[in-house]
Order: sequence, then C-alpha cells, then structure tokens
Amino acid sequence: MDIISQLQEQVSTIAALAVNTYGSLQRDAPPVRLSPNYPEPPPPTTVPAEDANFSDQPKLMSQALVDAAKKFDALVTALPLSEGGEEAQLRRIAELQAENDIVGQELQKQLEAAENELKQVQELFSKAADSSLNLKKPD
Amino acid sequence: MATSTFPPPPPFYRLYKDYIQDPQSAPEPPPPIQGTYVLFGANYTTDDALPSLEEQGVRQLYPKGPNVDFKKELKSLNRELQLHILELADILVERPSQYARKVEDISLIFKNMHHLLNSLRPHQARATLIHMLELQIQRRKQAVEDIKRRREEAQRILKEALAKLDGQ
Repeated sequence: MDIISQLQEQVSTIAALAVNTYGSLQRDAPPVRLSPNYPEPPPPTTVPAEDANFSDQPKLMSQALVDAAKKFDALVTALPLSEGGEEAQLRRIAELQAENDIVGQELQKQLEAAENELKQVQELFSKAADSSLNLKKPD
Repeated sequence: MATSTFPPPPPFYRLYKDYIQDPQSAPEPPPPIQGTYVLFGANYTTDDALPSLEEQGVRQLYPKGPNVDFKKELKSLNRELQLHILELADILVERPSQYARKVEDISLIFKNMHHLLNSLRPHQARATLIHMLELQIQRRKQAVEDIKRRREEAQRILKEALAKLDGQ
C-alpha cells in the first residue's frame, strides 16, 4: 500500500483505538467512592475475574495508543516529499517530456533504418534463393 | 424527469438502422460532458479539486500559505491529538458533563489531518508521472542501444558471408 494510504489508515486506527479505549473503560470501570458520608455499596454479584483483568486494561490500551502515534510519526518521517513544491515538479515533467520526445525520435529513426535493412536483406536473400534454385540442374 | 422501476432503453437505437450500410446516416455520439452534470438526481462535477476546509465549514488548524510543510504540520497535529485524548480522560474524571467540547476538538484535529493527507495526493500523482517518464526514457534508450547493436551485428555477418562467398 502506498505511504499516503498507510498514513490514512493509521489515522483511522488511532481514532478507533481512542474510541475503544474510552468506551471499554467507561463500561467496565468499577464504581468510585464520592464521599466518606455515603455508606459502602453492597458487594457486587458480578464475576470477580473481570476485576483482575481490568487493572491492566488502561495501561495496555494507552500503550497501544502511544504505539499507534509513534508509528504515525515514523510514517510521516518516511514521506518522500521533494522540496520545491508544485512548480519544481511541473518543470521536471516538462524537461522529461522534451527528453522523451528526443529519444523517441531517435528510436523511430533507428527502427526505420533497421526495417529498411531488413527489407533489403530479405529481397537479396529471395533473389539468391531464386538464382540458386535456377542454377541447380535437374537430375 | 420521468422515473419508473424498469424504464425502457432510450429510443435512439432507431436512428442507427442503416448504420452498417451508411455510417454517415446516423448521428455522431454526443461530445464529452464538461462542468457539472446530474446523475440519478445527484450533482457531480468533472472538475475534481479538493475543496478547502473553509468550504466544508471546518476550522483550519495548520497555517495557510502556498507551501505547507506537510511533515512538520502532520507531526504537530499528531502531538496535539495525543494531548487532547489525554485531556479527555481528565475531563471525564473531573467534569464529565463537559465532554462534548473536547470530543469536538478531537474530531476537528482528525478532519485537519485527513485534509492534509488528501492534499498530498496531487503531489504523489506528479511524482508518479515523473517516475514513469524516467522509466520510459530509460527503456527507449535501451531499445535504441539494442537496435544499434543488432544492426552492427547483421552488417558484420553479411560482410563475413560476402568474404566467404568471394573466397569460394
């Protein structure tokens, strides 16, 4: 995939990671004690295995976000942006087109000369074949 | 514009009844469309230019001007994006009801990033064209060399054959 498409996909990945991070954190976070005046809530009947995995989740997900951002930076550094902008590119295209025309004409000339020589050789060969056929005496 | 589920084909086919005998008796195909046209009720244009952010009603975060330093702007937008995502976490903890503004800021940064990447595409197209022209020039030069070499070889073989025949 070309680098600009990779960059675009990386931007989408970062967006998806951000959305998933906040979504799952909001969904799975355990309740927080707001004030010492309120009594402790009753013990939850949910599966405690969820809590064991949950404390790692913010770290893992934020690590994934940071890694995605670093990859984006690496891709941006790898962009082959030539300096000079649009005018320099257009100038180069005009130069290359002129050179292409010259080389094309040279190629055309060589091709025509080669085809002429081929035709000559073919004529001479057919004449030689005819003469050698005529010279051969029937037994 | 009359619409139906299964419209009949356009009636122009009758004009081409004698096309095989006389190609001039039938009308020429219409010229290519220029400008804007309507297709299935939607407006399209033949002039494909990337609309600027202002035209889409989005604030532009990177500096305007003829030459934008894409790498620098993309990196700084990336840094700002990370910062905003972190601040969103903070807001969700401290002032959860004010998330909307921060989410809007984050989506603004994303729109700017995508617009920057889209404006790189014409540059990429020109670079591809340059590369293709260079390849074509190289191939043509190679072909010229090949033809020269073959012609010289053919001349050499003919001279050898001539010398052999003369020596016979």
